[in-house]
Amino acid sequence: MRLSLGTRLALLFAACTAAVSLGAGLLFSQASARHFIELDQQLLSARLTQMRSQLGPLSSADQLTAHLPQLRSQLSHQSDLALRISGGDGQTWFASRSGLPSEPAATGLATLHANGTDFRSLGIALRSDGPGAARMTLFLDITHHQHFLQRMQQLIWSTVGLSALATALLGAWAVRRGLRPLRQMGKVAASVSARSLTTRLPVGQLPDELAELAAAVNAMLQRLDDAFQRLSAFSADIAHELRTPLSNLLTHTQVTLTRPRSLEQYREALHGNLEELQRMAQMVNDMLFLAKADHGLLVPGQQPLQLEDEVDALLEYYAALAEEADIRLQRDGTAALNGDRHMLRRALSNLLDNALRFTPAGGEIRVTLQPGARLCVANTGPAIDPDALPRLFDRFYRADPARRDGGREHAGLGLAITRSIVQAHGGQIGIDSQAGWTRVTLDLPAVQDG
Amino acid sequence: MKLLIVEDQAKTGQYLCQGLREAGFATELASDGDSGQHLALTGDYDLLLLDVMLPGRDGWQILQSVRQAGLDTPVLFLTARDAVQDRVHGLELGADDYLVKPFAFSELLARVRSLLRRGASPSQDTCLSLADLKLDLIRRRVERAGQRLDLTAKEFALLELLLRRQGEVLPKSLIASQVWDMNFDSDTNVIEVAIRRLRLKVDDAHPHKLIHTVRGMGYVLEVRHD
Repeated sequence: MRLSLGTRLALLFAACTAAVSLGAGLLFSQASARHFIELDQQLLSARLTQMRSQLGPLSSADQLTAHLPQLRSQLSHQSDLALRISGGDGQTWFASRSGLPSEPAATGLATLHANGTDFRSLGIALRSDGPGAARMTLFLDITHHQHFLQRMQQLIWSTVGLSALATALLGAWAVRRGLRPLRQMGKVAASVSARSLTTRLPVGQLPDELAELAAAVNAMLQRLDDAFQRLSAFSADIAHELRTPLSNLLTHTQVTLTRPRSLEQYREALHGNLEELQRMAQMVNDMLFLAKADHGLLVPGQQPLQLEDEVDALLEYYAALAEEADIRLQRDGTAALNGDRHMLRRALSNLLDNALRFTPAGGEIRVTLQPGARLCVANTGPAIDPDALPRLFDRFYRADPARRDGGREHAGLGLAITRSIVQAHGGQIGIDSQAGWTRVTLDLPAVQDG
Repeated sequence: MKLLIVEDQAKTGQYLCQGLREAGFATELASDGDSGQHLALTGDYDLLLLDVMLPGRDGWQILQSVRQAGLDTPVLFLTARDAVQDRVHGLELGADDYLVKPFAFSELLARVRSLLRRGASPSQDTCLSLADLKLDLIRRRVERAGQRLDLTAKEFALLELLLRRQGEVLPKSLIASQVWDMNFDSDTNVIEVAIRRLRLKVDDAHPHKLIHTVRGMGYVLEVRHD
């Protein structure tokens, strides 16, 4: 059976209270019973000693007669006391009232029952010289004690029952109150949808135990929100990036067709369209590459590579371009790693391409390699806005939005592709820009020995 | 040279046929897997261009039956899917090359020509030439109209490629891959710069230009009379 948390806690509270009150009650009733016994013992033994000293040693019933009036008057002061004196042969010499229980077997204090009345009895020999001496036994009617104890037991049971019930009810209420933050969390969580991923649980207002959980839930929401934002931004970017060239193509083609033109003009129009189409094809291919990376489908090969060889090949590839742009290319250091040559070349090519784009004439691009596989591409140039730095690896991000339609301009996917490749290799990429140098640093896992 | 194109997209098939025909190949088009397989097994083709996703049997099944029939006709796959497993699967089955849509026609043409050339015995020429341009592979010397040209290693390699494939339009991506071993699309103008520099040395001093730009397609080395 599945009980609610509230019911479960209320029942547990009730059981605890019942156990505690029952224990306390039992202890108390035992203690009172013992206390009564002690009181009775004291009373009986005090009286008994006093009476015996009055009587002195008796050897027959006749000797007793003289003392009887005094005994009777003493006993009349206390109605719950009764006295019996019997001879050594068991013959009753005197009994202050009828219906007294017979002599207990053991000496000392005894609890006896006779004719519906409870007695406590204490006996003593009237002479100390051996058996067969006359005995004096004092009886105390303890009916009212027993009544008191019974009432107390009833009280204990009802206390147990009532306190359990009360605790269950109070507990249920307290639990409901105590769990209110949990219900609030549930309500907030239920209100989260793709449209409202910005909702957060109020960690500050929650008790410590829940604050931790709420913080974890918030962190999860944050991650979902980030991923969702990226995804929607990406979709929106795709739409925008494809819409512009598509619109160009439509306009251009329709305008071209509106009236007869010379062969040369048609050719020109087709060339224009071709360039636009090639850019779109490139973009789609790049986006598919990124989509594959996102789905973990980018599985780089693991061939041993000397990074300096790859860098040199790339620098040679870009040498003419750099020379024309009056930019110096330089490589320092060496590094070895296991990786995918084509992918890493592509990643580095994008970095160099980007560096060449942003290095002013007369500038320099320096590729530094360190073992442990760190690669750093640094180029001179104006500092990049620190806020823009982390976004440089985002898809379609361009540091300067005005360059968007700048002819051969990159779609803004190059650095995103580089990052995907680096991450697929288990590496990290970072960028900083200061003191006239912009530095992209790749940390790639080093060659593992053995 | 006779090519079979198996492509179910009518427009794609039609454009491919037209393009390849105009490039000097005889082409036949099948628009579904079954007729494609029938033609591939019965016709005598020099190359098969297969789409992977086809109605009836798919491109891989056609390839399998072709190989089982003992034919070693080169096969070039065209596909809109670009999963690594697909690529590996295709190559395991005996495909010779793999092009992912969207591709540039110039790229397709270059690959088709490469595949067709593969069967032929490699030229043993130690000297390549066109008109008054001569390239000596052994002595690593280039001459134009009897005058020696001073080329860098990469310029030499680029010119060698153009000469070996003279008359063919070579897309930039193919040049980057063959000369620099850069096997990815990059839209830098590295190749443009390299060609411009080569042109400066090869063509500038001469009235008849040999290196030509085919806009939007690539570069071609040929003698033009215009």
